[in-house]
Amino acid sequence: MYSEQLNLAMPTTTTSSSSFSSAASSSGNRQADVFSRLASPDPEVKLKALREVKNQIIGNRTKKLSFLKLGAVPAIASALSDSECNSILVQSAAALGSFACGFEAGVQAVLDAGVFPRLLRLLTSSDEKVVDAGARSLRMIFQSNQAPKYDFLQEKNMEFLFSLLNSENENVSGLGASIIAHACGTTVEQQVLCEAGVLEKLVILLDGSLSQREACLESLATVLKNNPEAVSRFVGLEAGRYLSSVTELTKDRYPRTRLLSCLCLVVIYNTSPSYFLNMGTKSSLVTTLLELLNDPGQSGDEAALGLSSLIAEKEDLQKLAYEANAIKNIVDILKTGSELHPKRLQGLFLSLAELCSKLEDCRCSFLSLEMLDLLVNALRHNNADVRTAACICFRNAARSVKVAVLGALSNIVLDFSSPKSTFIEYGGIKQLIELSKSMDPNTRCSALRALRNLMFLADKKRKELFYSEVKAQGFVSLISGKQSPLNHNHMIHLILQLTTKTKTYSSSDPEPTVQEQGLALLRNLVDGCINSIEFVFDEEGLILDTVGRQLRKSPQAQMAIQGMYVLTNVASGTELHKEAVMQQLFPQPQAESNNFMLKFLQSHESQLRSATVWTIINLISPSSPGALDRHVKLREEGIIPQLKNMVNDACLDVKIRIRTVLSQSMSFVPDTLIIPQVKAVRKSLYHYLYHS
Amino acid sequence: RSDDDDDDDRGKKMPVRVVESNAAPQVSGNDPGNRSPLPPSSLLAAGQAFSGTQNVSNQQKEEAWRVNVQIQGVDLEHGYLCGTMEALNVPMADTPVITFWEGEIVDGKNYTFYTGKWEATREDDMRHWSKFPSFAPLQGQVESDGGRQLDLSNYPYIFMRWKEQYFVNVGTDCGLTIAGFYYVCFSCSDGSISGFYYDPNSSPFQKLELKTVNEGKSGFSFSSYELQ
Repeated sequence: MYSEQLNLAMPTTTTSSSSFSSAASSSGNRQADVFSRLASPDPEVKLKALREVKNQIIGNRTKKLSFLKLGAVPAIASALSDSECNSILVQSAAALGSFACGFEAGVQAVLDAGVFPRLLRLLTSSDEKVVDAGARSLRMIFQSNQAPKYDFLQEKNMEFLFSLLNSENENVSGLGASIIAHACGTTVEQQVLCEAGVLEKLVILLDGSLSQREACLESLATVLKNNPEAVSRFVGLEAGRYLSSVTELTKDRYPRTRLLSCLCLVVIYNTSPSYFLNMGTKSSLVTTLLELLNDPGQSGDEAALGLSSLIAEKEDLQKLAYEANAIKNIVDILKTGSELHPKRLQGLFLSLAELCSKLEDCRCSFLSLEMLDLLVNALRHNNADVRTAACICFRNAARSVKVAVLGALSNIVLDFSSPKSTFIEYGGIKQLIELSKSMDPNTRCSALRALRNLMFLADKKRKELFYSEVKAQGFVSLISGKQSPLNHNHMIHLILQLTTKTKTYSSSDPEPTVQEQGLALLRNLVDGCINSIEFVFDEEGLILDTVGRQLRKSPQAQMAIQGMYVLTNVASGTELHKEAVMQQLFPQPQAESNNFMLKFLQSHESQLRSATVWTIINLISPSSPGALDRHVKLREEGIIPQLKNMVNDACLDVKIRIRTVLSQSMSFVPDTLIIPQVKAVRKSLYHYLYHS
Repeated sequence: RSDDDDDDDRGKKMPVRVVESNAAPQVSGNDPGNRSPLPPSSLLAAGQAFSGTQNVSNQQKEEAWRVNVQIQGVDLEHGYLCGTMEALNVPMADTPVITFWEGEIVDGKNYTFYTGKWEATREDDMRHWSKFPSFAPLQGQVESDGGRQLDLSNYPYIFMRWKEQYFVNVGTDCGLTIAGFYYVCFSCSDGSISGFYYDPNSSPFQKLELKTVNEGKSGFSFSSYELQ
């Protein structure tokens, strides 16, 4: 970005400050009046009007907007096109440049007015001031994404670009660099530019004026980004002299220069880290960016994003930043209470997110700073990038086992009437349920995951609150993978625009993951005290029937695991509960053997084998009267025999559970049985279990 | 996994697998740097609850507190777990005392049998571990080379150290100390836990004995949570 106020190369223009009064009442009239004077055939009048408009709009977004709406841009464009008088060319170009500066609607208007080619032609003027004005104006346009696509691959365009870079006029060479900085996008373009010798031209600007230096740094970053060959070429120039220069510039007295040189180094580091083996350089880069965070202006905004890009995925740099007190510094900035630019907010939250992504100390440190209110506010921000960054931050910070547990523990001593717990207990649950019906499968999944975690070891009150909102039918829809109508809640929706990738998720088939989360949620719901099991029997066992039905449908492993744990948990209950599970496992009548249990026991997923065996353990738990009959049934269906084949399962946990079943199984075989083979089996099993 | 013929429960002779010896399991290859974490064990998981006693007898009297433990979180990758411990009928306190503890899992990757901190010497370590019968097969190797070649991922017992970090519901002036730590042995097959409290300033070998709790149910049940 290029700030009008810092444009040191701009020639001073005399402003007759008396020509416009600041009286608000007359401003409307003056505005309308100025239009007629802009169109005046008298060059003096026209010139004066141009100056007026230009002076009013410099740095004033509101004025830009109001003049824009009145059609000032086409009027000024006409003045530019129709005139040959140098003063008029200079003022109209300057005014157009101001409209375009940092104001997208202005850029649009200037381009729509078709005046771009005319501005280009100004560069060939014999009058230095005209060239300057044209170059500056074009530079503003090239800050924007709306700038015309510059085709570097065309010979003519390349020649023109180099003619700009070669110019003695620093605004013109700066324009060349700006074009590169904002229009160079692809690897091919980077390649073509490098081969044409652009790096050699750009580095000359490093020794030029402030504005040239800054333009050079910006364009270097663009040409080198993600292009190891380009980086290698740059570093090779005069044996690394320019890499050193850029590194030196990180200590320059101008913050923007420090920032741009840091950003350039970040690009080089991310592309070819081997040039930064020296810890000292890395460390100094981190600390410089951290210092720049405190700059109240644009540099501070971009420093935040630069920092997040630097430390992304790099644990060693995250550590450096953490040790340099990054977390406290960033949180202090966020807490200042002043309105921060969205780019800065985004960068700060992304930096925090990166810091918390791997380092446990960071997470604990961050969470100890009482950021919850700030985070929640950020989740409500009207800028989508800020919301996303805050989400990621929130998610990463909550990633640690210790933190999750401490959060849960705080409920032991927390007063339930306090606002935060109220949010969770009442508002939060309702909103999460709404979101679990969202059209977007990612949101549904995330909402369910959050609910599942909320129901983990939840007390009766919370479970009942949740169930009363969902009811049997709600679960049935969830588990069977049926969608519900669109229903959004702004704030929590934002919390849940989290990761878009889960291990089992594929964008073409979102439902299984949602069903898996639904079953996991149900699993947690029926765990705990024995009364919790009753939920699945509501409405004549609708939920339990649905679970059984889903399990019979050959579900994906992850879904099957959760489903079997639901059955395990139900089977830990009373006789009635165990019998109900048997009904689901072996529904009658069965046309053919569709025994999903056997399939699950042979699954490659050890967790599924484990979950299935646990169900069996609970069904034949010796303390219950019907255990013997159930054991007989399990044997008849081939389940027990299958288990005997699995005594040396590759998974230790499965192996241990199978031995538990078989030892329970032993107690059911009556002593009076005389079949010799059975006796032999018993004997070897006994030996195996008790002497190994 | 078995690759035998399918068993037919109508009386065919069942193949008997070769019995594993009771010797200490070994890692193949000798690469201590590349160890994996322990595999999951159903009963040592977040949400599981245990109940039993801590024997705090000394020369003067016999005393035992009832203790409830709940695992709150397990991170096998880092050999870390944590939970709460609730001590009931503690004479000095008028309410049950709850502490939050963090555990180190001896997996040969993150932690070994040697504590290396908390004022526990190697002798202290060996003295305590050897009080667990299930440590016996491992003892020789641990004494000779610290157990570098042990493959604990196939052993049906898990050894840990639990250190209470702070009181959750009472102040530090409640008359109890959490300066020491527990040497713990967990049995994967039935979830029973035994432990010995070590604190140079307390009476030695206070024994912790816990069994899984099923909240009055007839069987085991499991919850889960997921960190994204």
